[in-house]
Amino acid sequence: MRASFTLILGLPLLVAALILPFVVADSYVVHSAAMVLYFAYMASSWNFVCGYVGQVSLGHAAFSGIAGYASVLLFTGLGLSPWIGMILGGVLAAAISVPVGYATFRLKGPYFTLTSIAFAEIMRIWLENTDEFLGIPLKGAQGLTVPPVGGTSFLAFQFDGKLPYYFIILAMLVGVMAATHVMERSRLGFYLKAIRGNRDGAEALGIDPTRYCLTALALSAFLTGLGGAYYAQLFRYINPERNMGIDLSIDMAVMTIVGGQGTILGPTLGALVLHPVGEMVRASLGGHVLGLHLIIYGVVLMLAVLYFPKGIIAPLQRWLTPASKTTAPQTTVTVATPKEVEGR
Amino acid sequence: MIRQILGGTLALAAAATIGLGPAALAPAHAQSQDVVVGFVLPLSGGSATIGNQTKLGAQVAAEQINAAGGIAALGGAKLKLIFSDSQSKPDIGASETERLIQRENVSLLVGAYNSAVTFPASEVAERYKTPWIVTGAVKDEITERGFKYVFRPNNKATYDAREQLDAMDLLKKETGKGPASIGLFYEGTDWGRSHAANIKKFAKERGYAISLDESFPPNQVDFTAQLLKIRASKPEALIVVAYTPDHLLFTRQYFENKINIPFGIHSVGGGSEDPSFYKAVPQKAVDYLFVQEDWQIDRLKTDTDPRVLDANTRFKAQAGYDINSYGAQGISNVYLIKDVLERAASTDRDKIRDALAATDITSGMPLIVGYQRIKFDEQGQNTFGHGVISENIGGERRTIWPSANRAADTKPVWPVPDWSTR
Amino acid sequence: MDALTLSFAVINGLLLGGIYGGVALGLSLIFGVMRVINFAHGSFLMLAMYCSYLLWASLGVHPYVSILVTVPFLFGVGYVVQSVVISPLIRRERALVVEPTSALLLTAGVYLVVDNSVLMAFGPDVRSVTTDITYESIFVAGLPINLARLIGFAAAILVAFALSFWLKHSDMGRAIRATAQNRDAAALSGINVPLIYNVTFGLGCAVLGLFGALLVPFFSITPTIGLSFGIKSFLVVVLGGIGSIPGSILGGLLLGVFESVAAQFVTATSAAIFSFGLFIVILLMRPAGLMGRA
Repeated sequence: MRASFTLILGLPLLVAALILPFVVADSYVVHSAAMVLYFAYMASSWNFVCGYVGQVSLGHAAFSGIAGYASVLLFTGLGLSPWIGMILGGVLAAAISVPVGYATFRLKGPYFTLTSIAFAEIMRIWLENTDEFLGIPLKGAQGLTVPPVGGTSFLAFQFDGKLPYYFIILAMLVGVMAATHVMERSRLGFYLKAIRGNRDGAEALGIDPTRYCLTALALSAFLTGLGGAYYAQLFRYINPERNMGIDLSIDMAVMTIVGGQGTILGPTLGALVLHPVGEMVRASLGGHVLGLHLIIYGVVLMLAVLYFPKGIIAPLQRWLTPASKTTAPQTTVTVATPKEVEGR
Repeated sequence: MIRQILGGTLALAAAATIGLGPAALAPAHAQSQDVVVGFVLPLSGGSATIGNQTKLGAQVAAEQINAAGGIAALGGAKLKLIFSDSQSKPDIGASETERLIQRENVSLLVGAYNSAVTFPASEVAERYKTPWIVTGAVKDEITERGFKYVFRPNNKATYDAREQLDAMDLLKKETGKGPASIGLFYEGTDWGRSHAANIKKFAKERGYAISLDESFPPNQVDFTAQLLKIRASKPEALIVVAYTPDHLLFTRQYFENKINIPFGIHSVGGGSEDPSFYKAVPQKAVDYLFVQEDWQIDRLKTDTDPRVLDANTRFKAQAGYDINSYGAQGISNVYLIKDVLERAASTDRDKIRDALAATDITSGMPLIVGYQRIKFDEQGQNTFGHGVISENIGGERRTIWPSANRAADTKPVWPVPDWSTR
Repeated sequence: MDALTLSFAVINGLLLGGIYGGVALGLSLIFGVMRVINFAHGSFLMLAMYCSYLLWASLGVHPYVSILVTVPFLFGVGYVVQSVVISPLIRRERALVVEPTSALLLTAGVYLVVDNSVLMAFGPDVRSVTTDITYESIFVAGLPINLARLIGFAAAILVAFALSFWLKHSDMGRAIRATAQNRDAAALSGINVPLIYNVTFGLGCAVLGLFGALLVPFFSITPTIGLSFGIKSFLVVVLGGIGSIPGSILGGLLLGVFESVAAQFVTATSAAIFSFGLFIVILLMRPAGLMGRA
């Protein structure tokens, strides 16, 4: 069964993550590990809708930016704790995602992907060129800074050491996995899989695809938003280029696809493999060879699409759970419906 | 089940070897007598050209210092420079800063050209009480946060804007003629937008009208429409903020359209600091172009300091062109570090910080960029930092502002001639 | 806004738009036949520009002469990319249907590899070619028209006509059209579908080889220039109708004129936001584009 597989791989991962900072008490390692967890979290949030509906969004970064900006602005403007700002920002991202999703989820495959890019680019360019909106100081492309309160303050989401940040993002990652697990087993999860397999068929069975897709999208936007707010607090800085740009969206999508879409652990595996690639190339070559890590990224992506369409989690799953041969393979590849074939 | 969990642990161990690879990499421990200086620069991505120029300048200076006996106060210790790539991304710059401090055990750091990277990365340095010398980044707030370990020898953004208008004022005073209206043409990024905002602020104070306020997203493929607007709004001087690709496209199309702007085009560096820019356009297209940059471009012609000439020979051997603004800043940064280390006589970060705060340099290689003095205020800003403005006269870029840097035989052409008479 | 400025803006928009359309032709052709959205489209254009630049810088070959090399070279690149990278995907899918999202991701991988390999090989520096034609303008009714752009415009129209004619009347063209309509039926009637795919992809890239060489006299070259043109090409084909050859040119002209005229009233930044908005609206209202088949 899948739950047990998730447990088999997830439990040791969690234990390792929990003891890591005590084994290597080096704040660079803790920081790097927190970045891996951050990307794992972002990819998992992306996976929450895209992995299950089978649509590739390359505009998710917009949600991260919206919530990140909201949390910082609420803190600097109203003195609201970033913990509350984070939630409100997530809600705002979710609220914006619904009309966007309503309009675009009808589009299929690449059309949806291209539209999502266009949406995020509009948001980014607008934000980069808007100093003030309705009296709110957005400061355009400069980005916003989080003023240090000095020292550690839980309420202000500011800590001196790296450890609190590490455990916060770890808890967030476990949270998004739990949410995914619950969603998979809920009616929403079953409907999403049905929609993924055959949208028209699902509709014929009385499932309203738009409604369920939008519910999942809003939840995903909310989760992505929390990640954006976390980023802003970790670096005490947020700008449109990084937090709303296409690079972040590509990271989220590629990590999930390489790791395994529509699975609980897949996105985390993807982040665990891909993020360190860039880190290692930078640390060992120090910019002597330009762009090498992106070439590796591209090659890994191509290999994954060609040879591990279900992600690297698939062979791992086969290897770790040889007993459960009867388990039906996951429907992570879009099945071409007869109608589609005919249309070509 | 237990067997399976063990299997999972095994798989995890395999993943950990990949995942913690960078941690497992043994830090390249320097020889004990070396002083390790970390550089965080954009070596790949959009501003990679600039990052690599600063890197080369810094390497040249370190070669010179090491060949001349290293740091005397530390028993001839050599400078060991470690470069890391920020990719112009704030989080990667901050992570790399963390790595340099924790793993490479640097004594101090230099970086990071992009303001968006410098801002969070220098905060990491401040948290670890590691001195950070800002290079290239001009965002005002970088030295307005009350930090103790962050020092900026170069200009602030507001200085850049003020100097461009200062130069116009100076030329107006000398000739009695000057522009009544100024046009702004800038890329819609942090740099372009903050510069435009500063210009607008100073222009208002000094009574210049803004006749055009036009931004564009970077990497355009055509400027014809914008040139039409410039032609229609008739600014008497035009301030341009663009990196090489856009600056090149603009200059080519401007030259093609032969629009008359009586008091010339005033570029605030970026593309017009890049040697490949000048290779790509005919001289006629850049005649009378005013360029503001942190480097006195005609210095190499008049300077007789053998170290400057030697630095240029080394630089040119690798880059294929003379030292430019960013190369000069790299050289200046490393010579500043030498000066600081001689006074600190220690590789201890706090002692270096104190020596940096006490810096007062009035001569020598740290001033290669054209400053008269390096002395930091309590916020770590060098209040004597200034840019130099040159005009392209007779095929050469000659310094015209400040008057202290202007050569005796340099006669600014002001207003610039019409296209019909060129 | 006086009439002269406006007519100048329109003429320039048409010139530039023709070039956009020409650059987008390959993207549209490949999609029409294979249903693959080539994310690496701009990267191939960039590759062609570097190829032309290298010939000029090392051997002094005029960019217009370098077409003799860039077109076959890009054809080869496209042929190889299709047969090595994309065809395994087609073989995997039993029904000869390329799962469109996978194909998009695959070509996104190609984009990452090509752009960064060029960065590695050439560095980030901006390069440019200066030729006798760079600043040459002819005057039509008192308006200066850049000759290099005019040539690019004319080439786009010519290539579109030639391509349509060839697709209609040659054996290979017919086979390509048959495959586009129904690949299974085409395979049954003896058409070598994998070969058709390779040729189509090669052809789509060969068009870029031509335009790469035509663009270098007036565009500077960086490893990242592909993306600007790639995004414009997506806009163009969506506007004109994905898969339609005349639609590609029409979409290009529309986008060119739209950008050029809009920029007279708002900043280029706002114009960029508008064109993305237009893109979304067109996709939502009429996904088949202006000339496409629904």
